Amino acid sequence: MSCCKVPVLIEAQVEMGSVNELEHKSLFRQEEDAAQTKEASLMEQGSLSTSFPQHTPKSPKNSVLNSIKIVIFCNKLNLLLPFGPLAILVHYMIDSKGWVFLLTLVGITPLAERLGYATEQLACYTGPTVGGLLNATFGNVTELIISIFALKNGMIRVVQLTLLGSILSNMLLVLGCAFFCGGLVFYQKDQVFDKGTATVNSGLLLMAVMGILFPAVLHYTHSEVHAGSSELALSRFSSCIMLIAYAAYLFFQLKSQSNSYSPLDEETNQNEETSAEDEDPEISKWEAIIWLSILTAWVSLLSGYLVDAIEGASVSWNIPISFISTILLPIVGNAAEHAGAIMFAMKDKLDLSLGVAIGSSIQISMFAVPFCVVIGWMMGQQMDLNFQLFETAMLFITVIVVAFFLQEGTSNYFKGLMLILCYLIVAASFFVHEDPPQDGI
Amino acid sequence: MRSQISCRELYLMFSNLFKSMGCCKVSSLMQAQVEMGLGNEVELKSLLEQETDSRQTNAASLMEQGLHRERRAKVPRNNVVQSFKIVILSNKLNLLLPFGPLAILVHYLTDSKGWFFLLSLVGITPLAERLGYATEQLACYTGSTVGGLLNATFGNVIELIISIIALKNGMVRVVQLTLLGSILSNMLLVLGCAFFFGGLVFSRKDQVFDKGNAVVSSGMLLMAVMGLLFPTVLHYTQSEVHAGSSVLALSRFISCIMLVAYAAYLFFQLKSQPSVYTEERNHNTEMSEDDEDPEISKWEAIIWLSIFTAWVSILSGYLVDAIEGASVSWKIPVSFISVILLPIVGNAAEHAGAVMFAMKDKLDLSLGVAIGSSIQISMFLVPFCVVIGWMMGVQMDLNFQLYETATLFITVIVVAFFLHEGTSNYFKGLMLILCYLIVAASFFVHEGPRQG
Repeated sequence: MSCCKVPVLIEAQVEMGSVNELEHKSLFRQEEDAAQTKEASLMEQGSLSTSFPQHTPKSPKNSVLNSIKIVIFCNKLNLLLPFGPLAILVHYMIDSKGWVFLLTLVGITPLAERLGYATEQLACYTGPTVGGLLNATFGNVTELIISIFALKNGMIRVVQLTLLGSILSNMLLVLGCAFFCGGLVFYQKDQVFDKGTATVNSGLLLMAVMGILFPAVLHYTHSEVHAGSSELALSRFSSCIMLIAYAAYLFFQLKSQSNSYSPLDEETNQNEETSAEDEDPEISKWEAIIWLSILTAWVSLLSGYLVDAIEGASVSWNIPISFISTILLPIVGNAAEHAGAIMFAMKDKLDLSLGVAIGSSIQISMFAVPFCVVIGWMMGQQMDLNFQLFETAMLFITVIVVAFFLQEGTSNYFKGLMLILCYLIVAASFFVHEDPPQDGI
Repeated sequence: MRSQISCRELYLMFSNLFKSMGCCKVSSLMQAQVEMGLGNEVELKSLLEQETDSRQTNAASLMEQGLHRERRAKVPRNNVVQSFKIVILSNKLNLLLPFGPLAILVHYLTDSKGWFFLLSLVGITPLAERLGYATEQLACYTGSTVGGLLNATFGNVIELIISIIALKNGMVRVVQLTLLGSILSNMLLVLGCAFFFGGLVFSRKDQVFDKGNAVVSSGMLLMAVMGLLFPTVLHYTQSEVHAGSSVLALSRFISCIMLVAYAAYLFFQLKSQPSVYTEERNHNTEMSEDDEDPEISKWEAIIWLSIFTAWVSILSGYLVDAIEGASVSWKIPVSFISVILLPIVGNAAEHAGAVMFAMKDKLDLSLGVAIGSSIQISMFLVPFCVVIGWMMGVQMDLNFQLYETATLFITVIVVAFFLHEGTSNYFKGLMLILCYLIVAASFFVHEGPRQG
């Protein structure tokens, strides 16, 4: 489960070889919260472990107040939470779409992180298999929600660009920063990662590119049988194939994970601790579900305003919609994963960073994109996989570059810097790119 | 014991030679026998036949019952009936043979192009397999070098015959699409099925294959893509010096270069097997014995080869005529028929062979069949057809149109990435098969510009 946070966390704990339960739990939280660097220092002072009730019972029963305290207050990123309601106020009071857009962006960021947290908590209860699946499906739920809203409004182009931007940002920016920062910390040697997984992931990304390439090329060589409906039919068929492939990928990962977990257990002999970890998260199962629903509803609400404000922001700031959708939105949506990947790399756990970055790219390209096509099919929206020639070419060349960087199995700060610079080139080209007039949103 | 060991080592030598030929069936047969560690001559020969027939699962049981006769004579002298029995009747796939004449009857009696096309397809399938068999038999007589060349050239003779006949009719587009489809089907479908079924049988571990060979093969495929890409891009950027004739001239030059490259590839493969030969110098006598101990004599092999070739040519002639009619009557684009349907039939025997080798954990042989066949078509057949067209005065060029070239390019890159690691499992196989489904679907909704 390269893109799941649960095995990431469990693996991180096992690898850190922690000894007692309390350390386990504080480290558990440290992994999540360290995504916000301010928080890391607090952790090391151990001040938060005191706010933690004793955890001998399997499922913590928190009162509503306790629950709110744990989920909302003990994370300093949540200071940004009020920006959400503020954005809605601004939306109704002032007519400045630019400000609404900015405030909504800022307001969504902590929600994205809390959603990830709630998903992980829930995954603790459901066992590794379902937990992994949960993370695999909901890892990018923010992008998914934004996309579904845009689809409902018929803003197909925005959906395509947002998802594309998310793939590009994960592959180049997140991965590049991880390699770069990790390489700076460990500059005497090259960091290594598992070549086999990286190769399979590159192959999957190439398959996704293939699925996106054919409808685009079909359209541009004007060689379809029934102009207009052929690409749509092909896109829908390819989407189903890609969803099947993603399901097979998850199945395959689960099967090979179950083979690799048993030696770990024997070596570290921490079966009790790991099972205790499974059922000793911070909030109870129902709390997790409730918080998940609350956060999802809140994100949906804000996304609605966000999607409405995109065009207005583009006009008032004088930058193309492609840039906003492809570069700005995904940076915000991926902020938490970004920080997580960098932190793992700086701890020399490059496999986890790769899992977060490339796994997220695969999840979006092989799951979110085809899923949106299918949802569009059900809604009656004509969403297809024809991402237009420029974007498709961009994706193709990016995947090839990243696949080449990954195939060696080592990394250093230079490779990271190259990837970041490639992302700057991509961002710049989207800054001066707008769709030809006949393909309106 | 000494003779048994020498037979084995002899087969090892042959097999290494032929294995390097990529898609030769002889090498795969021989290697398969060597690796199974056989004991005596009768078993050897029955296994030889078993390898040939095992692609048709019904026949395998017949063989194991030992219907095969004892064979001590150096050159089997069969009369016509015996020859007929060995070549035609001992293979259950040949039950499909009557479909050939049936198709011709249908062609003259009814006007249904669709049925006629289908029956011709079915009728060609056993012929493709028997042609391969006859080529292997002949290769036993001609010595290692010429035998290898024979297999390298005639491995895909069905596609060659269909292409030449289509060229004669001026159906340049059909030739391009058929050859392209054959490359795609070999690289994705055959390889994917082999990886998938092999991975299912050996689900606990990853199967390995020779990385060096795979990388060289990927390089050859990329070179072929380069050769196809430049004329196409030249045409599509409308930047040629003499509009119309530049692309043709470039295509002909590139084809000559590709043929030279392919010859060099064969030469290189032959040369890089010398170490095995030095051990075999004292086994010369046995070698000549086994050279001449196949099932049918040399002249029989040549005669059967000619008969099958003539038969395939006749059927192919009708087949090529019927493509457009079938496309109209079934309402599917000509591209789909040429790119997807025809190659699946043409490659059926190789397909089954590759899957069988993978399930026996002989992934190098599967790769040899699948990727070697792709190289043979892309680096030999395609340029050869351009040259033949040149001689015939037909304007066949390497401009496969943008869509097909882009498809080939992305496919080669995907396959090269899957191959360069040197391991395989059922998941990689499944991915390749799903990629083929995407490619097939895209050709289903694609029709080329209407210039025939």
